[in-house]
Amino acid sequence: MIEVEHLTKDYGTVVAVRDVSFRVGTGEIVGVLGPNGAGKSTTLRILAGFLGATSGEVRIAGHDVQREPLLARSRLGYMPEAAPLYPELRVNEYLRFRAELKRVRRSERARAIDTAVERAGLGSVRDTLVGHLSKGFRQRVALADALVAAPPLLILDEPTAGLDPNQIREVRRLIRELGKQHTILLSTHILSEVEATCDRAVVIHRGTLVAEGKLSELQARKSAELSLELRDPEDRALALVRDLPSVNVLDHSLDGELRRVRLSTSGDASATAETVVAALSAAGVGVRSVQVAKASLEQVFAELTQAPGHDDTKKESAV
Amino acid sequence: MSGLSAIYRREMLSLWVTPLAWVLLVVFLLLEGAIFYSIVVHFTTLPDIAADVGPVQLFFGQESVLLPLTLVLICPALTMRTFAEERRSGTIETLLTAPVTPFAVVLGKYLATLSTYVLIWAPTLLYVVILRKTGSIDWQVVGTSYLGVFGVGATYLAIGNLMSAMTKSQLIALLLTVLFVFGMFVMGIGEYVFEDGLFHDLCAHVSMAAQMEDFSKGIVDLRRVVFDGSVIALSLFFTTRVVDSWRWD
Repeated sequence: MIEVEHLTKDYGTVVAVRDVSFRVGTGEIVGVLGPNGAGKSTTLRILAGFLGATSGEVRIAGHDVQREPLLARSRLGYMPEAAPLYPELRVNEYLRFRAELKRVRRSERARAIDTAVERAGLGSVRDTLVGHLSKGFRQRVALADALVAAPPLLILDEPTAGLDPNQIREVRRLIRELGKQHTILLSTHILSEVEATCDRAVVIHRGTLVAEGKLSELQARKSAELSLELRDPEDRALALVRDLPSVNVLDHSLDGELRRVRLSTSGDASATAETVVAALSAAGVGVRSVQVAKASLEQVFAELTQAPGHDDTKKESAV
Repeated sequence: MSGLSAIYRREMLSLWVTPLAWVLLVVFLLLEGAIFYSIVVHFTTLPDIAADVGPVQLFFGQESVLLPLTLVLICPALTMRTFAEERRSGTIETLLTAPVTPFAVVLGKYLATLSTYVLIWAPTLLYVVILRKTGSIDWQVVGTSYLGVFGVGATYLAIGNLMSAMTKSQLIALLLTVLFVFGMFVMGIGEYVFEDGLFHDLCAHVSMAAQMEDFSKGIVDLRRVVFDGSVIALSLFFTTRVVDSWRWD
């Protein structure tokens, strides 16, 4: 449904998005995750056709947003951050305008608006001026707008920003519900939002894609801790472990014959545990116990997005 | 053109459900009413005034410099919000991510301001009705006079829309447009400042007062029409380019 290839966007000297590529398949709910200012909104705006990319390609349902802008845009419903609306119009008037603008046929317009109103839960405020609505309702009007032409793809920029906890739960439930009929790409800086609503996440940090995949995969892929208790009379364990790839010794202590070692690994934690144990046993070190502590999603997120920019890490590892 | 009628209707709705159009209508009719009243009083107290100048001609023509001046105020106020407000509030994002072309957006908004302008002028037809009760009316003069104010307004509004697209502030859009159209008005005075020559011709050409003088005599000078049409076409073209350029901000 969405194909993004080597997308780059710069504002003069500031690079907002740098060489981002990802795909979203039909029927998926994908979260674009990243801290504030990471380039999420810019990416979504390019996908929605509001901004042009400096380089790279974006296709929506097979249509290039640059070369076939109208076709690409007619396949998606976009809800911008902060849900901008015309305060002087009534909810009905606004949705009628949007439906006509999105080329919903005249004969189907009334029904399309009814459906969107019902799904977004706007029944009680149809004749209210948009300017008189609360933040939560305005957000729903924007969502109804995105839905009104029944597009196969919904792009929602921070759909729960500024809502109270009840409204957030309500919107998340709605997104789950909509996910049954639409492909959804939503952005957020809240990790639990992705956990609550998305099948998959794309993590963006400083304009660069730093991770992509199912949450469980992300969690597994990121560093975990191993705590080992070893019987190591000849004191060979530390040297052995230090030689293993993708393992770092965090600390160690000696308690009589018993050596305790805490390791961090940057691969699949369980697989690393197996390697470590095998290596130690082969060298005649007795392994008394092994504990694998997987990183929490918060830790994963922090690790992905608090490290210096992706480019810098690349350089470091190259050196 | 895709989306044109939706944009036109939304723009008309927004203009007329907010006080702006009504306030402009009232201000405009008060000003024009005052001018018309003074002309009528003038004619009733001096019945033997030159027979070749009628009140309609006086109202639209060179005697009332006030008319182009009211347009210098009304037109920029009508167009100041078209694009500036959409960009300030962010609604431009929803507008431009709908399957519409930038030209449809520009033309829809322009036609809405132009229709509003026509609606604001419509009540002045009563003046003609009033005059008809007291004497004969030269319908050709009435027709060409209204054609004249339509041309002047259409030109000012096209410029105003362009200025509104250039800034996020309604106030700055208003001031830029006033500056621009007032500049054209002042240039028109150059017709009487410069002796014959290039500047004289140039000033006479862009002068809206001179245009109204011609039209109020029943003369439709094709050069005036071409000038108005060119300014409108250029302004709409540049506005479309400006709207298109936002993608590359």
